[in-house]
Order: sequence, then structure tokens, then C-alpha cells
Amino acid sequence: MPGMWWAVGATLVVGLLAAYLGWTAGRVERLQARAESAARALDAHLLRRAAAAAVLAERRYGVELYAAARIALDARPDEREAAENDLTRQLRAVQLDPGDPDAEAVIAASRRLALARQVHTDLVRDARAARGRPLVRLLRMGRRKPWPQYFDIDDPTLTAPADVPAG
Amino acid sequence: MRIGIVCPYSFDVPGGVQNHVMDLAEALIGLGHEVSVLAPADEDSPLPPYVVPAGRAVPLPYNGSVARIAFGPVSTARVRRWIIRGDFDVLHVHEPLTLSLSMLAVLSARGPVVATFHTAMTRSRVLAAAQGVLQIVLERITARIAVSALARKVQVEHMDGGAVEIPNGVAVAKFTDAEPLPGWPGECTPGRGGTIGFLGRFTEARKGFPVLRDAFVHLAPERPGLRLLVAGPGDSDDLYEKFPAELRDRVTFLGLVSEADKARMLRSVHLYVAPNTGGESFGMILTEALAAGTTVVASDLDAFRRVLDGGRAGRLFRTGDPSALRTALADLLDDAAARATLTACGDQVVANFDWPVVARRVLEVYAAAIEATDGRVIDQEWVGLG
Repeated sequence: MPGMWWAVGATLVVGLLAAYLGWTAGRVERLQARAESAARALDAHLLRRAAAAAVLAERRYGVELYAAARIALDARPDEREAAENDLTRQLRAVQLDPGDPDAEAVIAASRRLALARQVHTDLVRDARAARGRPLVRLLRMGRRKPWPQYFDIDDPTLTAPADVPAG
Repeated sequence: MRIGIVCPYSFDVPGGVQNHVMDLAEALIGLGHEVSVLAPADEDSPLPPYVVPAGRAVPLPYNGSVARIAFGPVSTARVRRWIIRGDFDVLHVHEPLTLSLSMLAVLSARGPVVATFHTAMTRSRVLAAAQGVLQIVLERITARIAVSALARKVQVEHMDGGAVEIPNGVAVAKFTDAEPLPGWPGECTPGRGGTIGFLGRFTEARKGFPVLRDAFVHLAPERPGLRLLVAGPGDSDDLYEKFPAELRDRVTFLGLVSEADKARMLRSVHLYVAPNTGGESFGMILTEALAAGTTVVASDLDAFRRVLDGGRAGRLFRTGDPSALRTALADLLDDAAARATLTACGDQVVANFDWPVVARRVLEVYAAAIEATDGRVIDQEWVGLG
């Protein structure tokens, strides 16, 4: 009965294909969710840095830094990258005294922000690569969510830990 | 924080990655965290209390050398069990792209995964053939650490991703507290005596031993009592035959030394010389010599200049130039005050490579990985940074 073997073979192929598709869909979803979490963490660190800079500016360094911090805090999504870069420039322009606890808080917040940004960039890249696969595009997997976006700003690290050689 | 660390190579054989894992684990425990290390090892081999043996490792020719690794269904089951029992906040794997426990752990993990890349290895042939598998492994890693600029470069260029650069630490106390070998380093007065040290493969061209040998052969006749202490793998006959017969009794060869003896050897010399002619990505040995409080004389390579703070923490000489080295050696052996100035600066440099300091930077990466996994932000205090 060759007909039965055909049926068995076809069921097997369909089963394997379904399993692969299910796995791929899960993978796309997982990577997407992770990129979103990373974006939330990045957002939190951006707010922390700007808040720390505002606290510092109120006590020392004056209006320009304070204004940059406020603008970064209130920036609309499409202006945010520029505003954050501006804040980084303002922070670099003033001589931060590492002995001052408020300045130390800004330096630490910047360092954590740099890490959050690095991780976010990597995870967004993974998620976008998964969504860009031909099969995923063809079946429009993950279409309920927008494509994860990079957050493109300058490296916010303030003092490259002087201690550590770049090599 | 509950931290699970996976070491791909067996603790039965000494090696750079194994030492790194042990020092990191001890530093993290010292900072008050709970650490469990999973590594291939026999059940009955003597291990530190925080190491969980994952069974015997099999020697397998891999990537041009023999690696002792554990891979397969039994190992997979053990890795799974360890992960479930450990209930870790973060999983930290080393060298996840080798076929090893590290790769198994990454594939079994669900939460935040931090990976450290040690070697500047590019994709091996085995893995290039399995590009899809590699991608699945990389995809599960949340944050990456590279221990050198070279390792980081490979990440960026070949693996399509960034990495945070955190150098190897140095267990400073192990070096400062080491006892010099009996009878060393001996006297060192202007024009007389003094001991010069070299550690490494003296047969390997890029380690630059011939440069040091030339400088020594020319300096020794004018400086009575000058001695040379050499340690590293190699055959003593190969070492001695290149020296003139009358100088041979002033050269001492220790052969391959253990970590503890390395520290003692570095404490047994007045000057440590790194005459490398290229290829060093970081210069670990320099930080170790600085930790031992020994004056360092090194080739003017980029990596060395960075470690030695542009020459403030050690004397630099023109790479590959024996007469420049000889002048530097003669000057420093005559000038105890200059040596003291250099070592004082060296103490400051090396403090930044001390393991607790390095471990705090690793903890920040852990925090970033945890945050990126569930979106919540971890407090500074919790990470252990004041």
C-alpha cells in the first residue's frame, strides 16, 4: 500500500515544518521582548543620568547644564538622541570633581548608561536580524509589534576609567 | 546576588581561563555574593568549595591544540541540573563558542547570560560550518565582556556585536606577599651586583629573549655580580648554549614555574625585563611584576606603554634594540631612587587591576544584563559600588 506511506511521509514533513515554524515564531517573539526590556532599562538609565545632572547643576555649574538636563528629561522621542548628546557634551565641558558625591553620582550614572546602551544595541541587532529573515518576513511573524529601534547616541562615558589602559 | 559561573576547561590542568575564573569567583565571594562555579573535573579531584565538578573532561583536538572538554548528553543533563538547583540571578559563561560546558549552559539558560571572551580567536572551522548554531548561542547572550582590545575587535568584526572591555585582574596580594627565593635577589649597589628577571618562552622570537641576552652579555663583563634569572618552558641546554661559557654560571634557569613560584620569582629580581618584539595584546605579566613591587623595563609597544602609564610606572626602551636595553638596565641598577619612584607609581597603576576593583566592573555588567532581561533597574548599592 504505497498510498499509506505517502500519507505518513507527508504528515511527517508537515509536522516537522510546523515545529520549525513554531520554534522560529517563538524565537522572534523572545528576541523582540528582550529588545523591549532593554529599551525600558535604557530609558530608566537615561532618566537617572539626566536627574543626577540636574541635581548637580542646581548646586554648581549653573544654568546651561541645568537646561541641558531638563531638555533631556522632557525631550520628545524624535528629539531625544540629540538632547542626550547635548547633555553629554555639557557634562564633558565642566570639570567634574570625583570627590563631590553629586558629581560621583553623575559619573556612575553615565557609566551604567554606557553599559545599558551597549546591551540595548546588541539586543536590538539580534531582534532585527531575526525579523529580517526571509521566512519570518514572508509569514509576517511578529508583525503585531513595531521593529525595535536603535538608540544612536555618543558614548556617554565621562572619565574613561583612567586606570584601565584602552588596550 | 546568586551568580553561576561556567568554566569550559578542566581545573585539573592549569591555564589562563581557569585562573581568571577562580580569581573572579573569589573576588565576588569577597564582595559578599554567592558564587557557584561549574567546571569539568573528576569527582575526587581536590577543588575549591565553590566549584561543582561536571564530570571528567575528554581530550579532544580542537582549533589546533588539544582541549580538555566535556560535551554530550550526560554533561547536558548535569548542566541543566546545576542551573535549576542554583536558581541564579545571572549566569556568567566563559568562552561560550567552544564546544564545551559553557555552550551547553548558554543553550540551557533562560535568564540573563553574560559571556566573557578571552582569546582573540576568530571563528574556527568547526563553528563556521555551523553558522546557524553559533547564531543561536550568541542570541542567548545578553551582555558580552572582552578581556582585551584584540578580543573585543574580533567581537565587533566577526561576531557582529559589541563587547565591554574589562581587563584581567591581578591578585595583587598574592604577589606583594610572596617570599623571594632563598638567596635572591642579592645585593645591588652602583656598579656592582643586581638581578634581572625574564619569564616566558625564551625560544619564541616575539618574546624577544635574544634582545635581553645581547644586552646581558655586553653588560655582565663590566658589572661584576650581575645575575640573570630565567623561568618558563624550554630546555636548559638550549638556553645555556647561546651564552658565552664564562657567563653561564651567572644565569639561573628555573624551568616552568607554578603560579606561586612565579610570584616568588618576580619578587626575587631587581629588574623585570619584557623585551617582546610584538604580538602582546595586553601584558599581563607586567601588571604581575608591578604587583610584586619589581621595577619593570619593557619594550616600547603600545600595550606595554598603556600598562606602564606612558613610562611613569616602568622604563620603556626602543623595541628590539639591545644597546638601548643595556643602557636602561645599567642606569636603573645604579639608581635605587629611580627604581623606587617607578615602583611607587607602579603600585598606583596596579591598584586598578586588583581583582576586587575588576570584579566590581563585572558586577555592573551583570546588573546591565539583568536589567535588559526584565527591564527593572538595579540600585547602585546592590551592585556593591559605593
